[in-house]
Amino acid sequence: MNPMTRRLMLGCSTAATLAALCLPAHAHGPTRQKVVEKITINAPADVVWARIRNFDTLKDWHPAVASSPADKGNEEGSLRKVTLKDGGTLLETLESHNDAQKKYSYRAKDGGALPVTNYTSTIQVTADGNASVVEWRGAFYRGFPNNDPPPDRNDEAAVKAVTAVYTSGLQNMKKWIEGK
Amino acid sequence: MAPRLLAASTAVLLVGSFAAPAPCAPWAYITNQGSHDVSVIDVATQRVVATVPVGKAPAGVVASSAAGRAYVSNPDSRTISVIDMRTQAVVDTLPAGEGPVGLDAAADGSRLLVADWYAKRLLVYDLRNAGAARPVASVAVGRAPAGVAVHAQGTLAYVAERDDDSVAVVDIAAARVRARVRVGSHPFALLHDAAQERLYALNVQSDDVSVIDTRDADRPRVVGTVKVGKAPYGAALAQGGRLLYVTNQHDDTVSVIDTQTLQPLRTLTGFGYPEGVATSGDQVWVVNWMDDNVAVLDAASGRRLATIATGRNSRGFGAFIGAPLP
Repeated sequence: MNPMTRRLMLGCSTAATLAALCLPAHAHGPTRQKVVEKITINAPADVVWARIRNFDTLKDWHPAVASSPADKGNEEGSLRKVTLKDGGTLLETLESHNDAQKKYSYRAKDGGALPVTNYTSTIQVTADGNASVVEWRGAFYRGFPNNDPPPDRNDEAAVKAVTAVYTSGLQNMKKWIEGK
Repeated sequence: MAPRLLAASTAVLLVGSFAAPAPCAPWAYITNQGSHDVSVIDVATQRVVATVPVGKAPAGVVASSAAGRAYVSNPDSRTISVIDMRTQAVVDTLPAGEGPVGLDAAADGSRLLVADWYAKRLLVYDLRNAGAARPVASVAVGRAPAGVAVHAQGTLAYVAERDDDSVAVVDIAAARVRARVRVGSHPFALLHDAAQERLYALNVQSDDVSVIDTRDADRPRVVGTVKVGKAPYGAALAQGGRLLYVTNQHDDTVSVIDTQTLQPLRTLTGFGYPEGVATSGDQVWVVNWMDDNVAVLDAASGRRLATIATGRNSRGFGAFIGAPLP
């Protein structure tokens, strides 16, 4: 995604190795975290939705994404392989796609390039007069499944990484649609 | 025991009549996992009357009217916070194994049952023995015990063994598993329907509800399976048990099911990662984890009547509405 996320990714593998060596017998688990980001776009909701409705268009508007093909288009179960410009990847499955509500939801079992697990996300367009509000939200657990997570795989790291993905994506989407 | 209890409650009544008028409306106790507190809402006025700090990452809750207390599980502190319904203050903190999640209380307020997720045990607390902080029994159950439901008669408890795809029937007095029934994939929440002698198990992975006949405690059997939305998480009965409300986390919806035909009647939309759900009179209250609020619905129609802001990452996993008995 960006150099920082890349560093987080490297941190993951080291931490995972450590975790395998010293798993506490009765770890109590992490709690689910969330991120909700919104942006107002000066275009009607129908127009905005038409531009982003396809699951595989992530590459068109997210500045960190190089390619995002989806094997079954907007069908439920369609698998999107997101390749980042820095080389990281994410595998995401479309859970629902709703043109009437102008939203789609997807999930990733592990976060791939993101320091999260059990990640689900929804992107939705709603009308706000002649403009639109795009909301991107996600629910996930931190990357480290047990007690005492290392700083690069704790709750804060997970929230920070997802927040960065959402804000940069939404800002670029706004520019892309508003033609600026 | 009984005369002493009687004397104690008379004393409370007397004090109550001379002091400030005792509030008697039912209260909703909403656990806020992200802000480590509980939003106490007056059900009648739909206002938050207190925000009570508890342990870390509170999730499960049961508001026991008979005990006059709400019990809250704090998985990250490994404790149960006990909130007095009359003062809305924490009056006790009980140690609770390795990671308490789901909990329920016997209808008479005598026992509290807590699922200990990591230790694979059901913890039994005696609520009548004042100051008894430690569990009086601990029953070995299956992997990742989550939701707990106590039978109306108070002798049996049901525990969802999430990672075993089963539900255990526990004899509380004998402290042992009496029977076990296989359900759908990853059961999490349980709800017992005393009138119909049925247990509903919500299967988070198979997106359905297993309907279990509980008339024979030694031979519980699945008599139906109801398809709901993605990741069903909470259930409550409404309209005298005619309707079953189920929250679907990953669909942002609530399924309303006819308990006679076991057919879905309607799917309500507009929720945000809905989790806990409870009924009070003609209303159904739905906790929205993503939106940090509670949606108050008209039970008959499903129409939204009000939205009440709560703390962060609200869960309300359990029977979160109760009123202290007079």
